[in-house]
Amino acid sequence: MITQTKTKAESTTNLLNPIIGSVLRTFERMLQCVPRRSGLELKHKDSPKFPLSAIVALTGDMNGTIVFSVSEAVSLEIVHRLLGEVVHEINSEVCDAVGEIANMIAGSAKAELEHLNLTLGIPNMVVGTGHEVYYPPEVAHPLCIYFESEMGQFMIEFGFRE
Amino acid sequence: MKVLLVDDSATMRTIQKRCLTTLGVKNVVEAADGLQAIKLFLSGGFDIVFTDWNMPNMDGLQLLMEIRKTDKTIPVIMITTEAERARVIIAVQAGISDYLVKPFSPEALNEKLSKWVGVPA
Repeated sequence: MITQTKTKAESTTNLLNPIIGSVLRTFERMLQCVPRRSGLELKHKDSPKFPLSAIVALTGDMNGTIVFSVSEAVSLEIVHRLLGEVVHEINSEVCDAVGEIANMIAGSAKAELEHLNLTLGIPNMVVGTGHEVYYPPEVAHPLCIYFESEMGQFMIEFGFRE
Repeated sequence: MKVLLVDDSATMRTIQKRCLTTLGVKNVVEAADGLQAIKLFLSGGFDIVFTDWNMPNMDGLQLLMEIRKTDKTIPVIMITTEAERARVIIAVQAGISDYLVKPFSPEALNEKLSKWVGVPA
């Protein structure tokens, strides 16, 4: 049991740095923004919630999900920085842009985890104040990584089962 | 020059189309997946194809293989998050002409597109 717990903890740690690295890379290259990691915790019922999430499945030697959740301000600024357009509310254009950033974050992390032979899914978007993303019971401890940036706050959460 | 631009993200198509327009390319036809793209491609007249890899219905690798059945020489450039060595090798073996990994800087996109449309960046 101790060995199994240790293995899962090691796996989670091994995923953490590639995911953080890919967030920084994606924001710097695509959005000309340097975010700062502001927190890390196990997901719990009172974890902060954002109104827009992009959910990307990764399957292979490990199966799991990476969720990119953003405030409305960040989502609108993503469109502004990618397309130069000013939008005032979350719409299909905003969802597409946020989904593409999520796709790049997951894809860039996947590239650093080549040994896991992961395949990337198409991003699914969830919109709504206070929405919750649930994981299968085999994912014991989804992790939340919080970021601050000049664009606003956002979060990456991920959970994998082996 | 007539360009076929394939990506399931409208955002990505817009970014690339604007870059091409800046480079003086006016005739850009867009497709949201490989299936749409191969139908357009077979109608003829394209000089170059820029395509994503991961898309619904038909992905970029399948699109590339379909294109190579009828055209061995047209430049097909993959613009994708698929950056693992093994994946790049698969694309090269299938006949890809060039590769740009997402996320990319504006300069990297401009440099890659200008190289293939023959206009200095």
